[in-house]
Amino acid sequence: MRRIPGIRRVFRHERSRDVESDIDLELQFHIDARTDDLVRRGLGRDEARQAALVEFGDVKRYETETVRIDRGYARTTRIKELLWSVWFDFAYALRGLRRSPGFAAAAVLTLALGIGANTAVWTILDALMRQPLPIDRPDELHAVRRTDQPNEDYLNSFQRFQRLQAVMPDPQRFTAMSAYARMYATTGDQPEPVLTQLVSGNWFRALHVSASAGRVIDLDDDRALDAGAVAVLSDAYWSRRFGRDPRIVGTTIRVNGIPLRVIGVGQPGFQGLTVGSSVDLWMPLSMQHALHYIGNYSAHDADIEKAWAPQDNVQWLILLARVPPASAMRIAGALDRQVRSDLEQQVATADSLDRAYRLREHVTLQPIPRGVSPLREQFKDPLRVLMASVGLVLLIACGNLAGLLLARSSARSHEVAVRISLGARRGRLVRQVLTESLTIALLGGALGLVIARWGTAMLLRVASSGSRPVPLDVSNDVRVIAFALLVSVGTGLLVGAFPAMRVSRYGLYDAFRGAGRVMGGRSSHRLPLGRALVMSQIALSLVLVVTAGVFVRTLRNLLVIDPGYEREHVVVARIDIRAAGYDSAGLPALYDRLLGAAGAIPGVRSASLSLNALAGGGTRTSGFVVPGRTLPRGESSTAQENYVTPDYFSTIGMTILTGRGFTRADNVGAPKVAIISESMARHFFGTERVVGSRFGYGTPPEFEVVGVVKDARVNALREAAPRLVFRPLAQAPREYVTSLEVRVAGPREPVTAALRSAFHQVDPMLPLRDITPLSDLLERGLTSERLVARLAGSFGVLALLLAAIGLYGVMGYSVSRRTNEMGVRLALGASPGGVRMLVLRESLLTSAAGVVLGLALLLPVQGITGRLVYGVSPRDPATVVIGTALLIAVTAIAAFVPAWRASRIDPVDAIRSA
Amino acid sequence: MGTLDLLQGTLDLLILKTLSWGPMHGYSVARLIRERSDGAFLIEEGALYPALHRLERQGWIESDWGLSENNRKAKFYQLTARGRAQLRAEVATWQRYTKAVAGVLEPA
Repeated sequence: MRRIPGIRRVFRHERSRDVESDIDLELQFHIDARTDDLVRRGLGRDEARQAALVEFGDVKRYETETVRIDRGYARTTRIKELLWSVWFDFAYALRGLRRSPGFAAAAVLTLALGIGANTAVWTILDALMRQPLPIDRPDELHAVRRTDQPNEDYLNSFQRFQRLQAVMPDPQRFTAMSAYARMYATTGDQPEPVLTQLVSGNWFRALHVSASAGRVIDLDDDRALDAGAVAVLSDAYWSRRFGRDPRIVGTTIRVNGIPLRVIGVGQPGFQGLTVGSSVDLWMPLSMQHALHYIGNYSAHDADIEKAWAPQDNVQWLILLARVPPASAMRIAGALDRQVRSDLEQQVATADSLDRAYRLREHVTLQPIPRGVSPLREQFKDPLRVLMASVGLVLLIACGNLAGLLLARSSARSHEVAVRISLGARRGRLVRQVLTESLTIALLGGALGLVIARWGTAMLLRVASSGSRPVPLDVSNDVRVIAFALLVSVGTGLLVGAFPAMRVSRYGLYDAFRGAGRVMGGRSSHRLPLGRALVMSQIALSLVLVVTAGVFVRTLRNLLVIDPGYEREHVVVARIDIRAAGYDSAGLPALYDRLLGAAGAIPGVRSASLSLNALAGGGTRTSGFVVPGRTLPRGESSTAQENYVTPDYFSTIGMTILTGRGFTRADNVGAPKVAIISESMARHFFGTERVVGSRFGYGTPPEFEVVGVVKDARVNALREAAPRLVFRPLAQAPREYVTSLEVRVAGPREPVTAALRSAFHQVDPMLPLRDITPLSDLLERGLTSERLVARLAGSFGVLALLLAAIGLYGVMGYSVSRRTNEMGVRLALGASPGGVRMLVLRESLLTSAAGVVLGLALLLPVQGITGRLVYGVSPRDPATVVIGTALLIAVTAIAAFVPAWRASRIDPVDAIRSA
Repeated sequence: MGTLDLLQGTLDLLILKTLSWGPMHGYSVARLIRERSDGAFLIEEGALYPALHRLERQGWIESDWGLSENNRKAKFYQLTARGRAQLRAEVATWQRYTKAVAGVLEPA
């Protein structure tokens, strides 16, 4: 780009030489004048000069002193002048905007929407990706992670936690916490789900998190099993549930049926280490067994119904260390050595394959100053794509505004010409143009901040898969305001650059010629800059429209996927029997009552129970062996397990391909049976004809395969069907189910309500998480896809609209400036249709050029969106064709109005007015 | 009669008073002060210039380049309206001051 001439002069420094030479001249004059006077009185010239100098005193000193005074003066004057002229420009811009309120409102609103949307998306991106945890010195916080495999949650046993703690220079800076788990707190008459975390006795102290009321969990609460029946509320939960009533401290609440004393409230703003979910209650690790805690864990050769802490084979703790970044490497080394020596002991008796497998384990300390966040992984790419999209929308909006300003500046070229001829400096004019656009942008930015606040809240609601918005701290106002300001200034400069460039290029001749009515000027009426702008707008719009189309198709593809079961007629009730503290001996009877109550509801065709609910209800994965078959090296030997009642398959509509389903005869006393999925059969047996074959957790194989079901996406629509093993619940009577499914004949709503009261009748204290149609459960797993499709879709529509308005503006302006030319054409015999075509052709050429540019721009976009699409290419030909056609059609409509106007020009009027 | 040291701030007053007779360049200011005071003040003429420039900065006088009597480029100073007001105020202060001092010194 050409440098804008004169812009430097604004910041020029008064050259010190000017000041000095002026003063030098002034003092010299004094001495010369005195010398002349003395000569006139009869002294010799040399003598006279000598006397004059003596009278004057130290010339050098006085000169320096005077220069210093003037310099200071010059500086303040310059600053004053600059401020004054900036104020003048600003007032001038405001006056200009007041003169055309329609333009001003449209411009400010356009930018407010653009800047607001950008700020909203950025706020969330910033909070999720960059904000450090609200704790003291977050850069010291490290998590123990495996280095040999990527694993967000590296789980360890309590035993290993204690062994590793022993090698730390300061054991109190090494701490452990469980994964989050849903429990049920009874504060009123009904148990309510709360998000909980168990933490070791030094956790709060190691994190430097204090209590705002009462105290936090300390070492004594966690000294021995069941030692600390206490709970710390999070500030957010305290507000939400107890209205910040300080009297709650010291009272007792029941969690999973166990009475716990509320000892304190965590410091405000602290909601745990997982960004994007908010813990309600913290309790000591010592309470794991008493509370029936079951969160993320992995176990082998262990009894998970017994307390976990003494069992080295139950891994359930996330380990954290607070160490200065400088010594993290050294301490990580010590931890790794301890892990290795642990492993060496444990694998001493294992066979060589298992040995090699387990000895791969290596650990390190990974800094987690921003905490951990599955949400970060889930939304990182979608948010980046949205940020890019919304940025492009702002660019397109800038294009429109620049076009409008350009047209305005052309319309005012006469004024500019007059001012130039009256001696206005060009730099000054450029500055005025820029001030005008900056004024618009800053007004837009201020309004945009309001829009952003609302937009951020809206995004957090839409991005949440539950009923409450994602608990993300987005209150970091200084950063948000700084971002909005930065974007506003950038926008203002960008928008103003085009008219500024034009003003700076004005010669006097051009200006007057443009202002006059000279015909057929080479370029003055064609607005080449304006056309280039529209072309880029169309190109960017195409990118946005095609991308939006691809995302919408992705969502649709996912929504119509056949998951391998029926989703429309099934309602799922998620319950947490374990939390109610039922003894496992009473489970079979409870299950019968639940199934009986659900089955008796009118409109329910069948009901079933399962260990883990469909669509994100948790999973249990176990290792299996098939006698006589060894899996190829590197192949996983695990499958996802579920325990179900006989009617499960017919209730959810899963297809049994070969063999049979479970019956009531498959009970505790009967031979152990299993039904597996086709991919499980292929993976483990190498064939789908497996009915009658045997497999198990070890040798000898315990289970006989009695049936094979069709593959099903039981976890998420997006996740490929896992290998599945189903077992009859009756043969595992100690398992606590978490899900009850019913198949409904008619409408789902009455059944949902009836289920609720049926559960209440079976046991009023039964912790009920939710009752949801299966289709809703599945769609909850598509939150980010829905968010992207929805937002990208609206951005695409917005872009299309903006581009159309831009084209309309530029063509309309061009036609109005060429009234005269059109008149001559019509007078010389051109048909109205011909003139119309002329204008249409020009606009179509512009759109076509834009489309070509846009298609080229789509190439690099593929890399960014590739990971987010499903079942469709980022450059899906059909979508590209439809997008292009849409764009051409919309721009043609936008161009038609000016074209029609051009053809209706009255030649006589047009020529006379010329 | 010997020479007197100029009291602090008095120079400003003298300059403003001198300029109240009309625009003139620095040398004229110096000559007039010398003549009117009969050379009583022990003052280096160079000291005039920082004072002039300071007064200009305060907005009491303003300057412009012009031609001297013998056609040389010289800087001319003249009182501004604010300068005139300042002069009046300073003269009044000065008179009260001298009167008070005189009142004390006069034999009772």
